[in-house]
Amino acid sequence: MTTLLRLWSFYARRTTRWPGVAAAIPFIALIASWAIVAESAIFPRAFFPGPLEVVRSFGSLVYKGILPDYLEDSVVRLAVGAAAGTALGIPLGLWLGMSPRAYSALWPVLLFFQAIGDIAWLPILLIWFGFGLATMTFVIVYTVLFPVVLNTVLGVRSVPIDLHRAALSLGASRARILWEVVVPGALPNIVTGLRNGLGYGWRALIAAEIIVGTSGIGFLMFDARRAGSVVEILLGMIILGLLWSVVDGWVLVPIERATGQRWGLIAR
Amino acid sequence: MKGLLIRNLSKTYFDPYAGAHVTAVRDVSLSVNEGEFVSLVGPSGCGKTTILNMIAGFVPASSGDIVLDGRRISGPGPDRGVVFQSFALFPWKTVLENVAFGPKMRGAGKTERERIAREYLALAGLGNAADRYPNELSGGMQQRVGVARALANEPDILLMDEPFASVDAQTRMTLQEELTRIWQARRPTVIFITHDVNEAIFLAERVIVLSKGRLLAEVDVPLPRPRVWDTLIEDAAFKTLSARVLHLVRSG
Repeated sequence: MTTLLRLWSFYARRTTRWPGVAAAIPFIALIASWAIVAESAIFPRAFFPGPLEVVRSFGSLVYKGILPDYLEDSVVRLAVGAAAGTALGIPLGLWLGMSPRAYSALWPVLLFFQAIGDIAWLPILLIWFGFGLATMTFVIVYTVLFPVVLNTVLGVRSVPIDLHRAALSLGASRARILWEVVVPGALPNIVTGLRNGLGYGWRALIAAEIIVGTSGIGFLMFDARRAGSVVEILLGMIILGLLWSVVDGWVLVPIERATGQRWGLIAR
Repeated sequence: MKGLLIRNLSKTYFDPYAGAHVTAVRDVSLSVNEGEFVSLVGPSGCGKTTILNMIAGFVPASSGDIVLDGRRISGPGPDRGVVFQSFALFPWKTVLENVAFGPKMRGAGKTERERIAREYLALAGLGNAADRYPNELSGGMQQRVGVARALANEPDILLMDEPFASVDAQTRMTLQEELTRIWQARRPTVIFITHDVNEAIFLAERVIVLSKGRLLAEVDVPLPRPRVWDTLIEDAAFKTLSARVLHLVRSG
């Protein structure tokens, strides 16, 4: 009993000090049970490989240079698409959020096109642009655009009217209000839009790579299916999850901590 | 002509839920001299906030004139400083940046506007809070920032819309005493909106009672200054005034 208590207090202290440890522990349990199921050979090894085989395949794909190349291709495609989608989406969202006329004219159109999912565009894009970068970029920009626009509009409209009035009665022009009031007020929602957009964009990219691809993580997985390599498929899936955690934890969370959380706009 | 002049001001708007036109303010005329402190008092729905919003330029008047220092008012402007019940501080700006906002919009340089901001923060007793964010302050502190921010822009008139309604009773008394002190030191022209009869009398030179969108009565407040609650609460003249205004408000 005392040993258990001591273990628990050790765990509690460590995880308070390094929150990363708390995040890692469920994964250790997950990997352990995966290894046990794989080792017990309930399923044929080729269908259900263990973690060690995946690590080995990771090593060999890195050694051959395939994985770094594919990873770079995927990340660059996502980064370019997301940057373009954001650069279009934030101004569009600010405009729609501030102009009731633009909102009533364009909002239904926006909802219509949002309903046509990214993948639904692929057939016609393949005819128009062929199996290339243009098609993939279009799909990612399209996917990132909508969550960014919709959340930015929401953010702009959530800025209390008294803040607009305060700025006006302190002598701010419309342009100054955009920069000093509307953009920072909408920022927490814009970050939410970015988070959703990047998440959807990442998924759309993998789908596009499977259909269009000549390289990339999605292509790696689809190619592995053709070769019947479950190990590489699993490896691809794990990389997808890990990469997302990195983007979220190293890019999005710090932005939120420095802005909305600091200002008391979102709960800690 | 210095000061504020309101002539036959009315506000009618369409209420989509009632499906009818509602008159919030009906033919109100009043004037506020330069350096005067006037309270507008009345129950909810008497039109006091609508009048303030029209003076501030936030909502257009249906008819009538509002003239400040000889200029007819249309739309909001830095000549009229507003203190809000919701404080309306910019959460993404520090206390100092909030107070420096008006001078910044006027084009004051960084050193200049921070000097002005620090001067008004000191006036409001907030010298130590300059680098904090509004959400780190209590309600009373936040509204001190709101007052300092409005004053730092050196407006011709200060419009205060139930500014102390959302702080606790003890803090409210302190804020009221501080406001009378600031008013005596700087003598800004003030229109103060409240539903609290004692607050209206404590602060003002003149109390205007509103009812159902109409001006019901004007009551002069000849109480000596400086005013503090500890003595005023027992003061016979204050009690008489308070009873009289309360009666007017309730009869209206």
